[in-house]
Amino acid sequence: MKRDLLDILACPLCKGDLTLEVFEENDREIITGKLCCKACSECYPIEDGIPNMLPPDLRD
Amino acid sequence: MEEQEIKKAVRDSYALVAEQACSCCSSTCCGTSEPKEISKKIGYTEEELQAVPTGSNLGLGCGNPIALASIKEGETVLDLGSGGGFDCFLASRKVGPNGKIIGVDMTEQMVKRAKANAVEGGYKNVEFRHGEIEKLPVEDNTIDVIVSNCVINLVPDKELAFREAFRVLKPGGRLMVSDIVLLKELPEFLRESIDAYVGCVSGALEKDIYLDAIRLAGFQDVNVVDETVFPLDYMINDPTSQLILEGLKISADQLKEIEDSISSIKVNGFKPR
Repeated sequence: MKRDLLDILACPLCKGDLTLEVFEENDREIITGKLCCKACSECYPIEDGIPNMLPPDLRD
Repeated sequence: MEEQEIKKAVRDSYALVAEQACSCCSSTCCGTSEPKEISKKIGYTEEELQAVPTGSNLGLGCGNPIALASIKEGETVLDLGSGGGFDCFLASRKVGPNGKIIGVDMTEQMVKRAKANAVEGGYKNVEFRHGEIEKLPVEDNTIDVIVSNCVINLVPDKELAFREAFRVLKPGGRLMVSDIVLLKELPEFLRESIDAYVGCVSGALEKDIYLDAIRLAGFQDVNVVDETVFPLDYMINDPTSQLILEGLKISADQLKEIEDSISSIKVNGFKPR
């Protein structure tokens, strides 16, 4: 996930803004990390460079 | 059928496609028709098909070259149900380095495949998100164009899907979707079949209801710009088509009846300024 595409990302549940926590990043993108909603506090994992923005009840 | 049950069936089925579909696509792999041949029938040009990474075209969409043609330099495009990323990659070339393409898909295997295709093809302005169309992880008023090819028929709550599309579009933004709609009610044995649902058929709405759902979401100037009969061989690549055609023991007459009930449409709608 690239940082410059973060600005149009929102929480799928409440559409709140997200904060980004980076665990691993290379020169291209964020590989692993976490996005958390400032409004409802739900968090979404970033794994293998892909943010998992599925609502919690649809996650495997 | 319960919504969650449908979503799970859809995900499981398309996960299988994502894993099986290979550049070596053969009759034993993912159907009897090559994705490229299907895409040509839909109206994509040879040049377009050559331009994208091998493996991004899974031969699944009903396609929308018209939407593609409308995309301008610098625009932000959102693809609902981006699958292997085929349309995203074509759109990427249209928007150029100042534009952005975001693909959303709820099937993990599809998103992974699309991401791998993006890396392989060196696409810098394309991003994929694992997400749900009825709960888009996208900010309000940020998207210029929404494209979606043969996906919304798979979404249990289509009205909500269109409301979400409306929300994320900028004022003046446009929705350009292709989808399967029904011209008359399907035979009951198909309506009740979750396999037929996954094969894009029994989840489809009647055309008028579909268009009304778009208008109810707030879209203006909702127009069908193209409509074609949807031959069942477009579905042949679908993992469930065998079930539908063989498992259900459909006769030639029944098949004709089904074909006459299904249409593929391209619809445009605009969010007022």
